[in-house]
Amino acid sequence: MPESIPAPLIIDTLKDTFREARGTSQREPLGWILSVPDTHQKTVLAALDKERALRVVTCATEDEATAIGAGLWIGGEPVVLMIQHAGLYASVNTLRGVAMDGKVPMFYMIGLLQRERDRDPKESRHSMVRFAEPLLDTFGVPHARLEGPNDVHLIPEYYRLSRQRRGPTAVLVGLETS
Amino acid sequence: MAIKPEDILKAIASARGNAICVPTMTTSPAWRTLAPDDLSIGCTGFMGGASSLGLGLALAMPERRVVVFDGDGSLLMQLGSLATIAGATPRNLTHLLFKNGVYHTSGAQDIPGGLTVDFVQMATGAGYRKAYAVSELDDFTRRLPSMLSDEGPLFVELHTGLADKTPMTDRGGQPFHQQVESLRAKLHKAG
Repeated sequence: MPESIPAPLIIDTLKDTFREARGTSQREPLGWILSVPDTHQKTVLAALDKERALRVVTCATEDEATAIGAGLWIGGEPVVLMIQHAGLYASVNTLRGVAMDGKVPMFYMIGLLQRERDRDPKESRHSMVRFAEPLLDTFGVPHARLEGPNDVHLIPEYYRLSRQRRGPTAVLVGLETS
Repeated sequence: MAIKPEDILKAIASARGNAICVPTMTTSPAWRTLAPDDLSIGCTGFMGGASSLGLGLALAMPERRVVVFDGDGSLLMQLGSLATIAGATPRNLTHLLFKNGVYHTSGAQDIPGGLTVDFVQMATGAGYRKAYAVSELDDFTRRLPSMLSDEGPLFVELHTGLADKTPMTDRGGQPFHQQVESLRAKLHKAG
């Protein structure tokens, strides 16, 4: 059964991920969070408001977030995108054009709003939940599920994978963060 | 009389120093000729993304000026980027809008609202530090130094005619991924 992941655990993991990405050139902000507000990850976004080590840019659309992320990466800055599944659907052309065709590493944390606790996402009653993984598969985007606190190691792993393969990767946040 | 976009680009090419430039759509072919191997990256394959790409670069490299050459049809595709840019307050971002009232690349169909759309008001309302329109080349060249040095985010609506070439009539240039790699390498080499 999936479990909710506490926001502080996610934020600490993001900080560690950014520290590793920066290597010896540690400076603040440690890294950038590009978010289009997501009900599913709202406790993380609320906690990030109080964080001084990470800089959050709230974007009007996921298209913007992906293009801003590309600019930051070209400029040498570490970036994570926090969006919702609906935003993934809304921004597939930019995902393709920027992250895939542009070979730009882009790591997404995608909230699976309305994901049922007792049902595999692929069998969800909600199309928003059901189609997320098949869509990522169609685009060849490696992805993994964050199903509870024990899965946060997937955040740095998939972040690193996006750098190694020079393209997009994603983790899907199963239950609403706490 | 509307300004020739190529004249604007020539003036920028002479004055931009080490600024990073982000052309899109009909500014791309002329800019490739004027600045063939420099700190530029074209918004290719994701129409509307130039302003956001420029914002990311500006945030990553606050010591450098970033100049976006946007189009009116392109900006309408991601109009919310005006608010996102204003909210992020990049002091080094200059957002130039080449306004011609049409989707020139796809056959010069009118954009929604045509030339009546007032992007200066939109940028002002979104919270840009400064926004104004320029209709004469002399006025543009006179103001260009301040466009490249004033604290941003700065928005300038340029009343232009149609470019001589479009990405459809003059295909070419590097694929986007090569531009990405090239610009990243140059920026990191520059330190």
